[in-house]
Formats: sequence, C-alpha cells, structure tokens
Amino acid sequence: MSDDVRRWSDALARDPSSTVFLQLGEALRRQGQLDLALRVALRGLERHPHLAEAHDLLARIAADSGDLQRAFDEWDMVLRLTPRHAGALKGMGFVRFREGALVDAERYLAEAAECDGEDASIASALQHVRAELAEAGGGGDEPDDEAAPAAGEEWAAPAPTASGDDPRTLFEEVVGEARQAALLLDASGLVLAGAYILADGRDVAQAVGAELSGVSDEARRAMRHLSLGDWSSIVIETEAATVALAPAPGDALLVVAAASETPLGLVRRVLGRAGERARGWLAGWP
Amino acid sequence: MSAPTRSPFADALAALTRQRGVLGSMVVSESDGIVVDSNLQIGLHGSAVAALAASLYRKARLAAEAAGFGACGFFQLEAERGRVCAVGRNDLVLVAVAEPRANLGLIRVEMLKAVETLG
Repeated sequence: MSDDVRRWSDALARDPSSTVFLQLGEALRRQGQLDLALRVALRGLERHPHLAEAHDLLARIAADSGDLQRAFDEWDMVLRLTPRHAGALKGMGFVRFREGALVDAERYLAEAAECDGEDASIASALQHVRAELAEAGGGGDEPDDEAAPAAGEEWAAPAPTASGDDPRTLFEEVVGEARQAALLLDASGLVLAGAYILADGRDVAQAVGAELSGVSDEARRAMRHLSLGDWSSIVIETEAATVALAPAPGDALLVVAAASETPLGLVRRVLGRAGERARGWLAGWP
Repeated sequence: MSAPTRSPFADALAALTRQRGVLGSMVVSESDGIVVDSNLQIGLHGSAVAALAASLYRKARLAAEAAGFGACGFFQLEAERGRVCAVGRNDLVLVAVAEPRANLGLIRVEMLKAVETLG
C-alpha cells in the first residue's frame, strides 16, 4: 500500500491536474491518515469541483472523521452531479442509520440496491435496516437511543432462520448456543453478515459494528508507525463482554463478542474459526 | 545531596519488563500520550509507542463504551512482529510491548496486578 501511495504522490506532483488524487486520497483514508487524505481531497476538488468521485471521497473521509453532516452533504452533492450514484446513496443510508432515522435509511439503501444489485454490503445493510424497521413496527424516524446494548445487557445467539442463505446466520455454527455473537463488517462499518441479538430479540449488530469499526483504522495506523507489521487480532475485555476483532479480506472486519466470563482462549479460538468462515464466504462473492 | 525521586510505578514496570519476551513497559497519560514513566529495552522508541498505544487504547475504550459494552479493562493487540497490551485507570494507561513469542497469559496477570499502582 505504501508503494502505491508513493507512486500516486509522485504522479500527482508531476501532474497536479491528474485525477490520481482520488486513489491517493482513498489509500490515505484507508490507512487512517484522515488529515492528509482530507488535504489531498480538497486540493483535488479545487481543480475538479464537478467531479462526483471527488465529493464521494470527501464524504467518506468526513464519515470516517465522525462528521456525519458533512458526509451527508457531500454525498448529496454527488447525487446532484451523478444521479443514482450507488455509493452516495449507500453512504447517505449509512448516515441516516447512524442518526436513527430508519425510514430514511431504508429509502436510500433501497435505491442504492436498485442502482447496484451486486453490492453485497448494500443488500446486507438494507436487509438489516428492514429487520430493525419491522422490529420497531415500521416506526417513525425518531432516533433510536437504544440501538446499542446497555452494558451488561443479555444477548442471545442468532436465532435460526428458515433460509440457509441468510447472511445473518453465517456464524451460527461457530458461535453455537453460547452467549457469543459474530459479525462481519465492510470497510464502512456496515454489517455484511452475522447478527448480534439481545435477549429481548433486538438485533444490535449495526450499532455495535459502527462503533467498533474505527478501531481497526487506528490499529493499522499504529502498526505502521511501530513497524510491527500487519495486525492480526485485537481483544478488548470490558465490563459486559470480551470483544475480539480481526481483519478480513477486502478491508472487512470480523467482530466476535462473548460474555465476559468466557475464557479468553476460547474467544480467540472462536475468532479464528469465524475468520475461516468469513474468508470462505467472502471468496464466494464475485 | 538528596537521592533522585523514584516514581511510584518503577517497581511495577521493572517487574513487567522482566517477563520473557517483554521489550518494554510504560505508564502513559491517556489523554495526551505523554510518557509518565517507562522501563524500556534498548531500541524501543518510548515516546512513539506511548503516543500510539495510548491513542489506540483510548479509541478502543471509547468504541467499546459507545457500543454498550461498558468500561474497558485489558486490551491486547497481536501483530506480525509483536504484541501491544494495555490497561488503564484514572487517565493513565499501563502499556507493554512484547515479542510474538511472549507469554500473553503471564503478561496479562502481571499487568492486572500492576494497574493497581495507577491509583
């Protein structure tokens, strides 16, 4: 990745009007160098103010920085320049979901799915939002303050479903009947597969995933500076649970959560098995 | 001439760094990543490790809290060429950097004991 960054930086230095800033900014964003990515994106936008992909890049950087309003505004600009841009619709759906506006989120994601029916992350996010909407009784657009579980809140293993193709059941065999949950998140923190179901039946996978996904960017940044190589796992022991993270192909992130009394070695073993499962499943996507 | 002031963390850090495979340990301010005290083997860049480890621990702690898991305790990261372990209390983070071959179980026990010295 650093070779690419160098190559793209050189190319941009040679030709400042080049659109290679898109690749450079995206690479820096993925490395967690958000300030630098922002500078590259803004400089590129000065020369290409009507380039939809440049606004899309800026939106993703803003979303990673936690500035959801700016991210939404930039994606809105992308739609003005390129109507039915699937990435922008997906991003706007993500922002609305984070704000708890489920009806809006569903609308954007449904439109994104129409525009790009092959993007598994959009389909998964849409399915998830629809499930939450169904649980809320098709409820209004009031922010859902209880999206994430409260500390110590009980959870259950994913409930079996009739369809074996349901990505929410991907880790069912791995986590078993124990108080464990496993999730696979895409690079934006959206759930690709798995479920995190509380004892009251609520699936809080998206809320948990969105919060934890930023940790991997920080880990990547730290490892780069410390020259320790690529990170392979993170385990966080908390009051309510032991949470284990591992990178997965395509900048995806695997999350396993287990009750805090679960032996650490067992959590790591479940993480390893879930990782194998996730890799196999992702390899099946075109 | 008076003896140099000894940090309250010195003994705990020395005990931790004596563990097989541990390259260094330090107490770091979580909010600004500044080293409060350290016991490092030669070659470990304390200030860089401190800033990055504190930032990583802080990010993990805040994310875990926001995700509803409650207060963060022990944190461990495994990478190709080493491990970073951290545990915090009162805006201080005890950090240990170790080789991949280090015994994580022993380091964890030692750190959970040592964290008591953070007040």
